[in-house]
Parts: sequence; structure tokens; C-alpha cells
Amino acid sequence: MGKKEKKNKSQRNEKNKHKFPEPLLKKLEEAGLDTKNLIFCCTGDMDNDACYRNAWLSFDEKGLYVAYGTEKLVKAKHKKHVEPSYTVEEITAIPIDDVDSLETERYVSTGRLIAVKDGEQQSVVRFSVGKLGQFDNLTKAFNSFKEKGEAEIPSSAEPEEKKCKKCGKPCPDGKDFCKKCGKNSAVAIRLFNFFGGYVPHIVAIIAIMLLGSAVTVFIPQVSTRALFDDILANPNGLPAVELIKALGVLVLSIFGIKLLNTLLTVIQQYLTGGIMPKVIYDIRVKIFRAMQRLSVGFYSSKQTGSLMERVISDSNNIYWFFVDGVPSVIIDTATIIGVLALMFIMSWKLSLIVIVALPLLMTALVLGDKFFRRLHHRNWLFGARVSSMVSDNINGQRVIKAFAKENDEFDRFSKASEDLMNSEIKLSVTEATVYPIFEVFILMLSTVVLGAGGVLVAKGEMTAGTLLTYIVYLEMLRGPFDFLSWVSNWWSRCADSAQRVFEICDAEPDIVEKENAVSFENLQGDIEINELEFEYEPARPIIRKLSLKVKAGDMLGIVGKTGAGKTTIANLIARLYDAKEGSVKIDGIDVRDLKLTELRRNIGLVSQDIYLFIGTIADNIRYAKPDATMSEVIAAAKAASAHDFIMKLPDAYETRVGAGGQKLSGGERQRISIARTIIQNPKILILDEATAAMDTETERNIQHSLTKLKAGRTTLAIAHRLSTLRDSDYLAVIDGGKIIEYGTYSELLKQKGEFYKQYKIQSEALKTIGIGTGEAETEEE
Amino acid sequence: MSSNTISPETLKTEYVLPEKCVFSLNPNGFLAAEIDGKVYKRVILTRSLPLSLPDEYICISDIEKNEVGIIKTIADFSKEQQELINSELSQRYYCPIISKIESIKEKMGHFYFDVLIGDTKKSFAVKDITKSIRQHGDAIDVTDIDGNRYRITDFESIEAKSRRKLEPYLY
Repeated sequence: MGKKEKKNKSQRNEKNKHKFPEPLLKKLEEAGLDTKNLIFCCTGDMDNDACYRNAWLSFDEKGLYVAYGTEKLVKAKHKKHVEPSYTVEEITAIPIDDVDSLETERYVSTGRLIAVKDGEQQSVVRFSVGKLGQFDNLTKAFNSFKEKGEAEIPSSAEPEEKKCKKCGKPCPDGKDFCKKCGKNSAVAIRLFNFFGGYVPHIVAIIAIMLLGSAVTVFIPQVSTRALFDDILANPNGLPAVELIKALGVLVLSIFGIKLLNTLLTVIQQYLTGGIMPKVIYDIRVKIFRAMQRLSVGFYSSKQTGSLMERVISDSNNIYWFFVDGVPSVIIDTATIIGVLALMFIMSWKLSLIVIVALPLLMTALVLGDKFFRRLHHRNWLFGARVSSMVSDNINGQRVIKAFAKENDEFDRFSKASEDLMNSEIKLSVTEATVYPIFEVFILMLSTVVLGAGGVLVAKGEMTAGTLLTYIVYLEMLRGPFDFLSWVSNWWSRCADSAQRVFEICDAEPDIVEKENAVSFENLQGDIEINELEFEYEPARPIIRKLSLKVKAGDMLGIVGKTGAGKTTIANLIARLYDAKEGSVKIDGIDVRDLKLTELRRNIGLVSQDIYLFIGTIADNIRYAKPDATMSEVIAAAKAASAHDFIMKLPDAYETRVGAGGQKLSGGERQRISIARTIIQNPKILILDEATAAMDTETERNIQHSLTKLKAGRTTLAIAHRLSTLRDSDYLAVIDGGKIIEYGTYSELLKQKGEFYKQYKIQSEALKTIGIGTGEAETEEE
Repeated sequence: MSSNTISPETLKTEYVLPEKCVFSLNPNGFLAAEIDGKVYKRVILTRSLPLSLPDEYICISDIEKNEVGIIKTIADFSKEQQELINSELSQRYYCPIISKIESIKEKMGHFYFDVLIGDTKKSFAVKDITKSIRQHGDAIDVTDIDGNRYRITDFESIEAKSRRKLEPYLY
């Protein structure tokens, strides 16, 4: 396919991105729907009574359409994958003039699409809550079409969820195959790619392993067959000297072979030990690099523990499988092949018995393993509950003691421990019952082989030494078979870890820098927010059509209740998240068009959540500018009113802070973080509840530091305590993601609206504790 | 009474009285109400304890999601009124009911459930199985990776085969 053809196809795909697949469109046409001018399509899964049913929703200039029918997955002709086949049963059309707008409502496990006309709501269809995002896109497209005559189609919109090409079930990751149908072999190939640079070593390791297996298989030939047939079974008996000599040679041969085997194992382990840490290093570094690339949204959606587990535990899982598992697989497989071949050579008649019994044994081992895995999993769950209870208890010690709940906590722990104990007892009892059954089966096999072999020896078809060697070989098969029966689970765990690792490596960051991103030429610091809309979860908007302007060098105070969306505005300006709709512009440039490093270098964020990294105070202050001189560090610390307390510490600027370091108070930590921002010298400063957790005196000190920091910068100050926003040039009162009041401090007080209300409440509270302000009265005058 | 004891009045919640609250259906089938003489064209009911006490402490909100009152127990209302309340709650708290578990297969850290919801076959994937299964009383809720919730109303009453499949993941 030529480049032009490919481009046309991709343009066609882009154009049809929000339409149903062709076969469905055809069926809808046959059912009487004109699909040529459909603007937006969306797939539902329930009817209006929340019964599962395929539903297809769409709209055009004339109306909103809801079609019901069935979608079946059928195997495509001559192909391995499945394709959907559609039947359309009914279509309901709602004239476009009968709907002013669409809304979605989120319930516990379902959602509802509602059509609004003259303020009256009417239910259109219900859907599973997982489809809320798609329905939200439909309402966005429909409402913008009604409002502006042109549908604004969200970039994330897809008419239907992606389905696995093999089984047709939904693919949560938007890939061609679901994880169930995804091939472990693909993961294996990707994992083996990490070994690309070590091919000669790998070849050497495998050769040594195979040689080791050959030696292992050869041992019984000397230790058993030669001993019995050539020495002990000599009909005439050997002279004592000859016998000792022969036995000596035999013992030395066995020793030599064992020594060779040990030597080969040592070389193999030496080679493996040399490569594997390097491979695991590559994997760890790759995960960590990928994690740095990802956006804040990724971290909010994953637990820190689970991410740490990916870096440490998952790479260890992979390590141990490759260090222990893979060599064992190669050695055991080679051993089984070698031993079976030798057994056939020694006696094909006895081998027939073994060939019949082995599959039975293997099946029993696999089933047994599956059964025990469930029991082990259950046991692990109880263990995990006990561990989390201990951790919960340690972290909550202050609260437990304050409420005198030690005994209750003990009872809770005892109950959980008892459950774990019972589960362990059940597991042990089951293991003690089931494993002997396997033993009996193996014993029966050995007995049958021994009996049949005895007959062959009696008939002269086989020597006693060969029979005993045969029995030794039979025993030798047990270990490798046992291992191979559960190694697939080990591999599953390794592949599972690898999959999680690759999930991070493959994750696309939400915030991506444009190819032709620009830099500031001479940054002034003008901020302009236009019709901003944002939501962390579908149908739960945080910011709704918010617009505001801040002139370069001015200070804007943002006030609002908890959850009003204040911090989200700060996050959107710093582009830690991207707006759903609308834009944030700095000096007239959309933040999405700016180079990320350029943007973030020019925005200083001082928030309530202060994070100090492991290192010295000086390291933390110069975090944003590693080449800052010590005099710059001291100047920044002085400006942040941090210098005095730092100098009182025994190691002053070399005091170690962060996890395991010197304990600092909230105010001290905040002053270090302000010093860090001062050294960054940003043009735009965001103070997000910077002093919310401080006592009045510390707050006053920090306010003093902040006043110095604000000079010559555009400042956005978010605060609960209105007194901290006294210096703002203007204030915006936010509620429910919208600006409800805007103006200067005194203007807002005069308006006697929400700001005035909050001011009065806070003043009353201060008066109650003996700090009268009387400011409101003064302002009102 | 010692001076630092909280008086019972402080912890008293005002409830909506059945005689001062009348529910009805608006022309579009949504729940409307008249509470203390004030008419609400549509009200939303939410349970405070949806798992343990689904019929008590029901919060009434207006269309703007501002709370207008709390019902202490549905049982205080007349039969007709109870029907209306229950119908609204059952829509909001509707959860597909699993009648049979056909299989649970683990692959690559995901658990794939094939179940029957009534007579309809349904497949879904669960990621963190221990956190996605919640037991409350005899019932079990399973939440899939898309946030959809499915319920087994009485674990003991579903067939033994289904029970055995889910048991290893319960604690």
C-alpha cells in the first residue's frame, strides 16, 4: 500500500471514528434508519428497564435514535478471529426539536441517559456504569450540536468499546486481544529480547546444562548397572584383589562423574549469575524511566505500593524464574528425554508400562497442583489480611491509644489470626491426605515394573543390574515430572509480572508534549483561562466552563469550599492534567503547545503537601537548580525565613532530611520548600494552601517569606483562610467548579455574597477564641 | 452530668416525618415529593447504609443534589408510599444478579468471570480480586475493571459448583 493510500485510509478511519462499524450501519439502514448523516454514535448494553440488551444510540440533524437488537460473535470464514453479526429489532426516533439537551446520571452499577425538554426530564436508556464515559461523550457531542450547530466530538470518543479479536470479549486495554487470549509466548519473546546482548553466554549456559543432564543420566549406568552386572554378578566371583581394584575404579569413576557434574553446575551458575543481574538491572531501569515519563494521573490511579511492587517484586519474580526456573526446565526436559530413551533401549517391554502410566501421573500432578494453588491462594489471602491488620494497627497506634481501643484491636487481630490458622490447618491436612495418594501410585508403578522386570530377568531377557538401573531411572523421572507439572504456574507468575512491567513500559502518558512545541520568548506571566472543563471521572465534573484572567505580576486569590476545584485549577495551569474542554493560556500560548520543561520551569508550586527528598537540606533547596551555589542556597533560605532554624540544627545545611532523616516541623519543611521555589525563580507562582496546616505564628512567618517571593511574579494563591489573601489584587470565589464571585477584597465584602458570608464566619470564629478583627466593619465603611 | 458531656440533643438528627412527606411520580416517571409543604418536581433518594440497612436512613435530595431531609425508616410510610420509595431505590441501586458462575479463570493477573445474569451470559474481567470482591451478610458484590458491580444475593443458596469456584477468593 502506497503512502498516499495509507494516508487516505487513515483519514477515512478518522472521519468514521465516531460511527458504527459498516455491517451494523447496513443493518440499521435495512431497518429504516438513514445512517448517511449520523453525527455521533454510541453503543449501549441495556434497555430502559436495565435489562441487558444491545443498544445503539446515534443522532443526526433530524433526531436522536435508539436502536435495540442483538450482536452475536461468529467465527470469521477462513480466519481465526471472531466477527460480530448484528440483528436490529426496533428503532425509536426522538425528533431533535423534542430534546433541548442530554444528561447522564450515575447510579451504583448503572447509568441513565436523560433527555431534557423545557426543564422536564425523560429517561432515554439505561446502561452499565462502565459505559458512562461513552455516554458522556454522546451528551457532549449532542449538547454542543444543539448549542452551536456543530458537534464537538471529544478526542477520546469511540463508538463502541474494543473487543478481543479472538473471543469477542471487551478488551480493557484497547488492544487487539484480551489478556486471556493474549499469548504468553509474546511476553516470553519480549522478555528474551532483554537477553539479546548475551547470546554467546546463553548458548554456553544451555550447552553446559545439556552436558550436565547427559552426565546425570549416565551416572546409574556406572553406579548401578556396572556395579551389579560387571562386578557383583560375576558368576565365578572375582579374586579379592581384582574385586577391590574393580570397585576402586568404579568408585573413582562415580566420584569423577559427580565431580564433573558439580563443576558444570558451578560454571553454569557462574555464567547465569553474571548475566541475570545485568538483565534485571535493564528491566528495573526501564520501568523506572517509564514511570518518570508518565503523568500525575497514572500515579493517582495506582497505589504506591503496587507501583513499588512492580519495580522491586516483579523484577525479582522474573529474576528468580530465569535464574532457577529456566535452567531447571532445560535440565529436567533433557533428563526426561535422555532417561526415557535409555529406558527404551534397556527394555522396551517395561517402557510400555511406564508410557501408559506416566500420562496418568502427569494429569494427576497437574490437577493436584491446580487444586493446591486454590488452597494456597486462600491461605495467602488470610495471611495478607493479617499483615494489613498489623500494618493498620501500627500506623493507627495514636488513635487506638487515644480511644483506648487496644483490647478491641486485639480481638480483631485474634479473629483474623484464627482464620489464618484454620486455613493453614486445612491446607496441611489436605496436603497430608493427597500427597500419600501420589506416593502410593508411584509405588504401585515401581512394584509393577519390578514384578514385570523380575519375570524378564527370570526369562533371561534382562540382567538384574539392568533391572535395578531401570528402577533407578524410573525414580529419576519423578523429580523432573513433578517440577514440570507446576513450572507452568511459575511461568504464569513470571509472565504475569512481566506483563505488569510491560504495562508500565507501554503506558502512554496522558500529558504528551507536541512535536512542534514552543518555548517562551520573553515570558511575562499573563494567564488566561477560557471555558475550562475538567473531570477526573466521567460524569463527575470538577471544573465547569470556568474563565478568568490574571495580568502579569498580579496576584489572584482563589477561595472556595473543600472540593470546589481550586487545586484542580492549579494542576491544570501547571499541566499536570489536560483540560477536557477549553484552554489555559500563558502569554497567549496554550499550555498544550508549550514545551513541558519550559512550562514547569516557569511555574513554582508551593503546596500543603510538602515533600522533601532523601538528602541534605542544601540538596533539597537546590533541587530545581542543581548547580546553585551555596551562597544562592543561603540567600534563598534567608528569603524563606528558613536560615535561622537550619543553623540551629547540628549539621546545619548538611542535615539529612526525608525518610529516615531529621524530623522537622510542618512549618520548617514548608520554609525549605519555599526556599526551593525561590531558587527556581519561577515567573508564575502557585501557592496552594501553603500555610493551611500551620499555626498562626508560623503562618505569619511564612506569609512574610511568601510576600518576598511574590514580588515581580504572577501569583495564584489558593486559601481557606481569607486573611491570607488580603494582598490579592483580585479574588475569585469558586463553588462547584464555577466562579460565583469575582472582584477585589473590598468589592467582595461590599457585595455581601458568599465571600462576605465566609468572612463573617471566620471573623466570628476568631472572635470566639479572642482574636477580634473588626476588619469587615472597617471594609464595609 | 459532667460539663464536658455532649448533650443528647447535640447528636439528634431531624428526620422527615411520614405525615409531612408525600411522594408521587411526575409525568415522566421520576419520583417527586412534597415535604413540609414544599413541592419538589424530582427528588433523589440515596441510602446511608446501602449494604447493611438498605431500608433505613434514606437521604432525600433535590435535583441540585441538595439534601432536603432524611427518612429514618421506610417502614414508617404507607404501603403505596413504600412502593414508590422502593421503586426509586431499586433503580438507583440496581445490580445485575449473578445466578450461576460458569468459570473463573486467571490469566496474566486478571480474573475472567463467565457468569449467568438471569438467563443472559455475561463475561467480565476483575483485576485485583481481593479488593474487587466484597462480602456483606450473605451477599457478595463483585466489581469488574470498568467499575460495573454484580451481586450474588445469597452465596449459600447458589449451586455448590458456583460456590466452589468463588470460595478460594473469599475471606
